Amino acid sequence: MTITLLLEQVFNGIQSGVTLFLVAAGLTLILGIMDLVFLAHGAQVMVGAYTATAITLATNNFYLGILLAIPLTFASGYILEFLIIRHLYKRDHMEQVLATFGLILFFNELTRIGFGPAALFSNLPPSLSGFVYILPDTPYPMFRILVIMVGFAIAVGIYVLVTKTRIGAMVRAGASNADMTAALGVNIHMLRRFVFSVGACLAGIAGMMLAPLTVVEPGMGEPLLILSLVVIIIGGIGSVRGAFIAAVIVGLVDTVGRVFLPELLRSFMEQSAADGAGPALASMMIYILMAVILVFKPTGLFPPKG
Amino acid sequence: MQTLKTITALMTRSPSLLILLALFGLFPIYTSLADLPFWNDVAMRIMLLGMAAMGLNLVLGFGGMVSFGHAAFIGIGAYCVGISQFCGLDNGWLHILIAVFVCAGLGVLIGFLALRTKGIYFIMITLAFAQMLYFFFVSLELFGGDDGMGVERAEFFIIDLWEPLRLYYLIWSCLLIISIVLMLVINSRFGVVLQGIKDNESRIEAMGLAPLRYKMTAYIISAAICGLAGVLFASWQEYVSPDIMHWSRSGELMIVVVLGGLTYLSGPLIGAIVFFLLEEFLPELLHIIAPDYTENWMIIFGPLLVAVVLFTKGGVMGAFNKLRIMALYRGDAK
Repeated sequence: MTITLLLEQVFNGIQSGVTLFLVAAGLTLILGIMDLVFLAHGAQVMVGAYTATAITLATNNFYLGILLAIPLTFASGYILEFLIIRHLYKRDHMEQVLATFGLILFFNELTRIGFGPAALFSNLPPSLSGFVYILPDTPYPMFRILVIMVGFAIAVGIYVLVTKTRIGAMVRAGASNADMTAALGVNIHMLRRFVFSVGACLAGIAGMMLAPLTVVEPGMGEPLLILSLVVIIIGGIGSVRGAFIAAVIVGLVDTVGRVFLPELLRSFMEQSAADGAGPALASMMIYILMAVILVFKPTGLFPPKG
Repeated sequence: MQTLKTITALMTRSPSLLILLALFGLFPIYTSLADLPFWNDVAMRIMLLGMAAMGLNLVLGFGGMVSFGHAAFIGIGAYCVGISQFCGLDNGWLHILIAVFVCAGLGVLIGFLALRTKGIYFIMITLAFAQMLYFFFVSLELFGGDDGMGVERAEFFIIDLWEPLRLYYLIWSCLLIISIVLMLVINSRFGVVLQGIKDNESRIEAMGLAPLRYKMTAYIISAAICGLAGVLFASWQEYVSPDIMHWSRSGELMIVVVLGGLTYLSGPLIGAIVFFLLEEFLPELLHIIAPDYTENWMIIFGPLLVAVVLFTKGGVMGAFNKLRIMALYRGDAK
């Protein structure tokens, strides 16, 4: 267990944490403000990844792909809210689960028809595929550093937007009492549509940033959706700050745990038993973390006040 | 004698369930006369799906608890067969016993943690536990990991029916027993309180009853039923893999319940039939419209699901009841 490896894994953990945060931030606002169980949020990640990759492959320009994909994912969220989602706000949770589950099936199948069942691959432009030395002898991919920086920048941006601006005040008011906010003259319908589209856009950005790092395939967003649900449950539904802290914790625990837990078990268990239990325990770890946190704090670490 | 009377009296209250059970019971006679033994297999699948959905419906439809992780109990039930056989236990009755106890035990554990929460939190926690178990079995190399493990049809040595139909009637009997059990549960004092909790939990609390105990009991019963369904599913499929506990399977189970009708005992069975028909005929329909996209039937199924949520109330049974009531009123007007 070298310090280099540890440092690399910590950076990987932070990178996956901030990506997770981008997905979770939108979802926590959708769940918190609109009380909507939106399972198709993972599909928004897929939309972002596919639009960015497809444009990149077509124009051979990575930056153009990102630049065009951002407004496109925002628009897809806007249209989806207008067509389907706004009819679901007043429904109970189970109906929302079912309808958005139907949307997942639809989006995955649509992608499969449009782009084929095989995965898409896009290469990073040469300007982004270099390495940065975080320690004199520890190279780290530049793109991952960039992902971390973009993630942090967006996190700060959302924090400022939610806590310091007028729109943020309306969003927070909407989260604690939608009816009262509407009575005070806020156009709650537009507010919801805006928040939903921003959420879709954030998930899309997460997808764009993941596209060069993982495979772009139908259904790619679902594992991320489940993880970000864990994140917002741990962080407290509706709390952006909670989502950020929880996302980084989950990212770190998941990434670092996968690498070091088997090794740790081997130090005090029989080799074969450790090899069997290590991966099993590592993949369960975040769920165990969530269960433990909920035993002590049933509404998450940072439940929004009110 | 008295219990038999109660059961018959209750049965007349759910005629649709009674008719369905009778139809499934007589179905093999039809398939053997018409020489369509393939359809026995289909009927078994529907009964298994319906059985698990009936288990889920106790908490979902009657208890109002949106559990998003019930596929885990089916999977655990199925793995109970696989692991028991791995350890040299071949007796099917023992498998059922083990699965019911293990699933009930897990139900206690998960219920204890999950039922402390409500609403979205409850949905997500049940999902998280299911995921935990899913990943546990995915990474358990000893039992096949991702690839799953083969299972032999268990020995149920007392039942010695005509060979190919042995499993069919075992599944059917279990369905019958579960139907009777659920009928008794729903119509008991316990069942009434449970449905009262769904309507208004604080009212039940104000009456001096502890809702948690009722919710917990219902959760445990439904876990055990899904475990039993899992045992039979493993025997039917002769194979078990973590795939059956994937979270989308929990979603499917929920779809089945809602398609049929949440507040009806027979709803899940009808939902299973409708689900099967859609799964079977949507590809055929697509084959006529767009032959190249036969495999992509989900593209219709997804929006259909959204439409069911947006435009219907109470699934197939709800729609049927509405029609019946309308017909009754028309009769009065004459």
